[in-house]
Amino acid sequence: MNTRLARILTTIFVLAVVLLPIYWLVSTSLKSNREITQEGTLYPHVPTLDNYVRLFTEKQFGSYLTNSLVVTFFSVSIALAVGAAGAYAIARFRLPFAAERKVGLFLLTLRIIPPVVILIPVYLLMLSLGLLDSWLGLIATYTAFNVTFCVWMMESFFREIPVDLEEAAMVDGDSRFGAFRRITLPLAAPGLAATAIFAVLVTFNEFLFALALTATPRAMTMPRGTATLIGRIDTDWASMSAAGVIGALPIVFFALLVQRHLVRGLTMGAVK
Amino acid sequence: MRNGMQASKYRLQGAGLDLALPYLMLAPGLTIVLGVLVYPLWDGLRASTKAYRYGSPVADVGLQNYVRLWSDAQFLNSLWVTVRFVALSVSIEAVLGFALALFCLHEFRGIRLLRTVLIIPMVITPVVVAIVFRLIYASDAGMLTALSAAMGGGAVQILGDPLKAFIGLVALDVWEWTPLMFLILLAGLQSLPHEPFEAARVDGAGAWRVFVDLTFPMMRPVLAIAIVLRTIDAFGTFDQVFVLTRGGPGEATRLISIYGYDTAFKFQQTGYAAALFVTIGLVVLALAFSAIRLLRRIDAS
Repeated sequence: MNTRLARILTTIFVLAVVLLPIYWLVSTSLKSNREITQEGTLYPHVPTLDNYVRLFTEKQFGSYLTNSLVVTFFSVSIALAVGAAGAYAIARFRLPFAAERKVGLFLLTLRIIPPVVILIPVYLLMLSLGLLDSWLGLIATYTAFNVTFCVWMMESFFREIPVDLEEAAMVDGDSRFGAFRRITLPLAAPGLAATAIFAVLVTFNEFLFALALTATPRAMTMPRGTATLIGRIDTDWASMSAAGVIGALPIVFFALLVQRHLVRGLTMGAVK
Repeated sequence: MRNGMQASKYRLQGAGLDLALPYLMLAPGLTIVLGVLVYPLWDGLRASTKAYRYGSPVADVGLQNYVRLWSDAQFLNSLWVTVRFVALSVSIEAVLGFALALFCLHEFRGIRLLRTVLIIPMVITPVVVAIVFRLIYASDAGMLTALSAAMGGGAVQILGDPLKAFIGLVALDVWEWTPLMFLILLAGLQSLPHEPFEAARVDGAGAWRVFVDLTFPMMRPVLAIAIVLRTIDAFGTFDQVFVLTRGGPGEATRLISIYGYDTAFKFQQTGYAAALFVTIGLVVLALAFSAIRLLRRIDAS
């Protein structure tokens, strides 16, 4: 009985610690500016959607959202296609000088280095290519980051698929690439999905490179656009909280929908 | 059978296009990575040996930028803040995550809800997490102030005070990343063999003895992996600080990534900032490789 009570209390405590801050974000986003700063209410007494409307009518959040979706879609799809092919090559072929293993190790090393380390040269590169403040600049950058991740994660999925199936297909006259496309790839679909999910999450949430590489609503992504609301002196809490909800909502919904596949990506494969 | 036995055998041994296939499959990915990651890495190394004015290199200065770092009080301070931030956050997360994982090891009602809810902090956009915490700490619109007012207290000041702002940042990181520790450690606990624990129960060992003699030693490798992953990740923390405090008040929460960013984009000292980032990269790689060696030793023993 005692342990049961302890369990219930701990569960409630943990839920409260996680959910209260989020409650406060949502609740603030439904209040008027006056209610936020002057009345300090614990819940919205006069709920309003004005803050949300303002984001789209006055603050160009429509553009930010579009940019985020376009950039995420292209950088994840390209990285997935290219990464799956690379991962398959590393998982299945034995090249001279163990080149495939060296490539895999090299990509993993690149992944360990914090992205901030190459921020300046990537900025200089995009500057010289005229790709600052453009979709293409962001897509190229995010695709590269996603490729290192996709190759490395997909490789472990391909290794789990027995090689006999492909060999059988090849005996039946399929080419190696045909066997990969028709046999292995469909079998690896759950792994492909898990990889895609994690890549979408990371890409949609990325801020640092969006901060350095974009400057106008032409290319600014959601996190980058949200950060423009933070003033040096005056903070527009109402808009900021509404922007926070809009930025978080799709990603949280998406994540909860597929939570089973998420853990492996979040832990860099340490946990299956 | 389209190609006949002869052709398929020929293919299996690898010939023609199939011989080039691994290279063709690796090429697109490697091209992108070489162009957008490796070339900049190399370019960053080059930039770090130059002095810049108005965004263009004006002189070769050799390793001077690297030497200068170690007499730059602001760099040393940001390094110290980062080390303190990482050490404090990661150890709190490890302890809380472990405790929570032990707590959730036995199935009970509500555990699924708990696990689902715990996913939320780590998937929310880091920028939004920082907004959430600004909304908690703000002296006018903040949750803490509202709660304090509801209990008859006054406004709560967090982000204006150096120590409180630093603790506030650690609290944010703990909120965001304890769930990850929890998930890794829970998976680790669930994969431990049952036999030793049953034997201990038969011998009448108490819960504490079981933890010290069995659970903890067996969990050491998983715990080490979790701590290494978090440490590497925490070292590069940027978004949350940028939005929460912008490094302030003063330099109280100015992590090395923020200092590097400001050096490059605010103060336009491109070469010096490049040297700073190369140094961070080397530190993190050294950390990672020594961690891998350590893990191998734990595995062997």
